[in-house]
Amino acid sequence: MRRTPIVLAATAAGLAGVLGFHTKPAHISFGVSSGTATGAAATGGSSPASTSGASAGTSSKAATPTTTAPAHASPPASAGASGTRTATGVVVNYNYGLMSVKVTASGKKITHVSIAMLDDGGNSLSQSIDQQSIPLLEQQALQAQSGNIQGVSGASYTSAGFAQSLQSALSKLGLK
Amino acid sequence: MGTVVVIDLYTGGEPATAEEYRHLAQARAILHRADAVFSTWKPDSPVSRLRRGEIELGEAPPEVREVLELCAAARDASHGWFDPWAIPGGVDPTGYVKGWAAQRALDALLTSRVTGALVNAAGDIACHGSPVPGAPWRIGVADPASPGRLAAVVDVAGAIATSGTYERGAHLFDPRAGAPASRVASATVTGPELGLADALATALAVGGADALELVESLDSYEAFTIGKDGARTATARFPFAAGTGAGSPGVA
Repeated sequence: MRRTPIVLAATAAGLAGVLGFHTKPAHISFGVSSGTATGAAATGGSSPASTSGASAGTSSKAATPTTTAPAHASPPASAGASGTRTATGVVVNYNYGLMSVKVTASGKKITHVSIAMLDDGGNSLSQSIDQQSIPLLEQQALQAQSGNIQGVSGASYTSAGFAQSLQSALSKLGLK
Repeated sequence: MGTVVVIDLYTGGEPATAEEYRHLAQARAILHRADAVFSTWKPDSPVSRLRRGEIELGEAPPEVREVLELCAAARDASHGWFDPWAIPGGVDPTGYVKGWAAQRALDALLTSRVTGALVNAAGDIACHGSPVPGAPWRIGVADPASPGRLAAVVDVAGAIATSGTYERGAHLFDPRAGAPASRVASATVTGPELGLADALATALAVGGADALELVESLDSYEAFTIGKDGARTATARFPFAAGTGAGSPGVA
């Protein structure tokens, strides 16, 4: 059985669309970038332009910053190969500690949202997780505990802190 | 305000085709459109302008009227515990819109190849079909007292929504007290339609056990609340998954 999870992220002042395609469920490994098997989930026919998220997810593994807390400096946007740009948003308080969000874009298209830095109240976790964001981090951590569930209702997804850091990164990329 | 929506499509072992991607694009457009029209975080959205009195309802997109009519029905069904008109600053349908938009996005995904589909809008979830043949969707409910833990697992056939004190926003306004309030730590509602489930969960988060009995009287909707003291209460047929340690829910 194939499943095709697709991630959309919407911000307050604009919309950041992120599409990630997985041929098997993504997993989180703290401390290392996840071994997400991104691949072309579509066969035949033409895929919409947004499927560029699949290949961008693979290439973005090259950038895995290991920012340790308290890295309150927030670096400016940087340009990488093939027109990809990344930016890390300001460090913010989310529900359980400090975090900052990293956004990767190709042109005007956001291809990747991930956690640049996470500090859970002294239990510092330095990680960059491909194609994940804090809400998914929480969701998947909860799912991994219980096995055989397809979602979680009620986790603190709508973190204003996450949105704030995401928005900061988007602004640095000139993507509002 | 940073809502992440996750869509899972199951195509029974067959690869997704261009048709699934077209429907996915439609679903995505529905979510973006709802954000553009209803977001109270966008100062120029039609709902923001309506709230400020800059436009009349007739000048707003037709879905605004549609949603407000659904909100009125939900206000009646919840005996006023869910009341978008009681929120300071003007009518605020936020407590209904997220679920309503996610439900419509789900409905747009259903091609002939799709055997199961799930739209998870920041914890408000609408489902269709099944993840594997014969199996129900199993959805965890986050434990409000212990981040990273589940309070229960639920068999979901249609929709599930949870509202709680950890959510931010004016939709946890208590229309009877006149000030922001929440009597429970977490309120979960299951039922066939996510917009109404979303509104009822919001109503329960404010009204607590007093509101639970009216959900009991609604056909097809069930509810489960966790009090700030950890006490658990549920309607008689709330679909806890078998053997998932739901604690000892009382029955309203």
